[in-house]
Amino acid sequence: MVTSQTDRPSILSPWLRVGPLTIMMVIFFVAPIGIFFVYSFWTKEGWDIVRQWTFENYIYVLTSPVYTKLIFRSLGVGLRIAILSVIIVYPLAYTMVFKFEKYRDLILFLLAISLFSNYLVRIYAWRAILSSNGLVNWLLMSAGLADGPQPYLLYSQWGVILILLNVYLPFATLPIYSALLNLDRDVIAAAADLGASPLRVFAEVTLPLTMPGVIVSFVFIFLLTSGDFVTPVFVGGKEGMMIGNAVAEQFGALANWPLGSAMVFSTVILIGLLLGLIFLVYRIVRNVINRKRYDLYR
Amino acid sequence: MDYIIQFHEITKRFGHVVALDKVSLEVKKGEFLSLLGPSGCGKTTLLRTCAGLEQPTKGQVLLEGQDITHMPAYKRPVNMVFQRWALFPHKTVAENIAFGLTIKKTPRPDIIRQVRAMLELVKLEGYENRFPKQLSGGQSQRVALARALVMQPKVLLLDEPLGSLDLKLRQEMQIELINIHKRLGTTFIYVTHDQEEALTMSDRVVVMNHGHIVQIGPPAQIYQKPNSVFAAQFIGQTILFQGQVSAKNGESCQVATDELIITCPTGSDLHIGQDVFVSVRPERVRLNDTPLVDLENRLEGSIVNTIFKGPAVYYQIEAPGGRIITVQQHLEQDIPLYEAGSNVFVGWSSKNSQILLQ
Ligand SMILES: Nc1ncnc2c1ncn2[C@@H]1O[C@H](COP(=O)(O)OP(=O)(O)O)[C@@H](O)[C@H]1O
Ligand SMILES: [Mg+2]
Repeated sequence: MVTSQTDRPSILSPWLRVGPLTIMMVIFFVAPIGIFFVYSFWTKEGWDIVRQWTFENYIYVLTSPVYTKLIFRSLGVGLRIAILSVIIVYPLAYTMVFKFEKYRDLILFLLAISLFSNYLVRIYAWRAILSSNGLVNWLLMSAGLADGPQPYLLYSQWGVILILLNVYLPFATLPIYSALLNLDRDVIAAAADLGASPLRVFAEVTLPLTMPGVIVSFVFIFLLTSGDFVTPVFVGGKEGMMIGNAVAEQFGALANWPLGSAMVFSTVILIGLLLGLIFLVYRIVRNVINRKRYDLYR
Repeated sequence: MDYIIQFHEITKRFGHVVALDKVSLEVKKGEFLSLLGPSGCGKTTLLRTCAGLEQPTKGQVLLEGQDITHMPAYKRPVNMVFQRWALFPHKTVAENIAFGLTIKKTPRPDIIRQVRAMLELVKLEGYENRFPKQLSGGQSQRVALARALVMQPKVLLLDEPLGSLDLKLRQEMQIELINIHKRLGTTFIYVTHDQEEALTMSDRVVVMNHGHIVQIGPPAQIYQKPNSVFAAQFIGQTILFQGQVSAKNGESCQVATDELIITCPTGSDLHIGQDVFVSVRPERVRLNDTPLVDLENRLEGSIVNTIFKGPAVYYQIEAPGGRIITVQQHLEQDIPLYEAGSNVFVGWSSKNSQILLQ
């Protein structure tokens, strides 16, 4: 390809171009988070904030069996939802793109509609379905599969997982869907042309090339769900409470912003560590696969 | 005759669009066959039915006499070079080339040997560990070629592989492809919309239009004896007249057009009053300051435009009746060019006027 000689942009211009975006990010995202980050190093005495830098809150949170349990449970719930949603959504997006091309827009439209239906309404609907005299238990009992109502459906971690999965599924779909949609069809055709069976095409070309979409979807869902605090209130019961509920309590009823902030950032740090670990494993696996690279002039 | 590929009455519809309409074509073993036609005429679709990437709505594809119409693409011993190359972006050059062999479970030392041989063939030694996005268009094109050739296909399908290269690179690659074809003896089916490319490279050219085959033949024949107005206009340039057969005697006949009466070699099945076209190649026409009395067909006109192209010059000449015709003159000596406004005499011999029925 011919490289064209264009005017060299000044060093500043890229910054000017993203300027408005940067300002928005600072106002709506960085500033509020920064404020809470500062709070997390202060303490509260009575009704006063003590503006003295200390790790006290962090030590308290990270050594408290209750809070660490809540944090790890939240990460576990988020992780399970993220894994499940990617597993559910990938085939869905794949069929949308490759098998039901005609109905692609319709399915996308239905997904979008489900985004607009009220979150609480859906939680109540699920509660009705899962409750002891709800649809699922009724079906189980009338089919003779259960003697009585199955209590673990509601007020448990799996109840929370089920509902959050349902609520966030459309969000999980879009990154994978668009990754699949942007795949060059000729690249897939080329793999088939070179002798790869449909399964091999998927393993060698389709999946590796859509992995970025899978990762975005995974991280997105993991972050959104592990911080949720609404669903646990309605269907979590004691077993389904998450760190978000404890945070909400500190910011609400207990009005302890420093401790609440420290909980948030402890969770964020642990999420970061967990994601880092996941990607380390992912990279190692990928490198092992790529080790086969052809070293032609050994 | 040994045919390697036979297309038998292939029809392909996409919804209401008829991409191919009962196309039948035989491809000889080892030949360089070009599919030539304007964009959208069905060239790619025909190529893809051969690769198995498109199922014909009707008709059969035979490979060495065997019906492969329903054989999936990945089982067919033919390979394709895609229009935009379609390299695997996450694999290196070497991995791209090795892809088909690894699928076949070729032993590793053999893969390495064959990939090396291919890199040498397409002159890309030293590029094996680059990724496609680190390659120029010409280099990507070579990788795509190597990736297909390493499979030793019975037929190599090429879909406008040089379409997005600049002119100079394209001409170099044309020669290289011809050499590779000679060296390997593989059958090439080559899609292009560039008539010059088709004439340069092929043993035979298939002219297509609107999902039909218009004409099949060696390049010289296609150029010299186009069988239709479409073929005459699409391949090379032509001065086209429309008229009726007005007289017929033994060797020649006359066609009356709005501008003049043209003497043509006669065809057997012409009758007086029949509507016909007459095509004259611009380089078969002579120009002079004085009337060309030795030529049967003559026109007088004035130069409107002079287009200088190096080895040749094109004159746009306004003929009586206002019609503008373009005439080509080879510049053998440093003859002075006509200037706009000069009066010139144009003439051509009867054997250079070709009657076309459609
Ligand atoms: N997958 C497809 N879906 C719908 N129409 C198609 C498809 N592929 C090709 N066509 C149509 O078929 C016709 C022939 O296309 P193609 O074979 O690509 O032409 P060419 O390669 O000669 O430019 C065109 O009208 C094109 O729009
Ligand atoms: Mg095409």
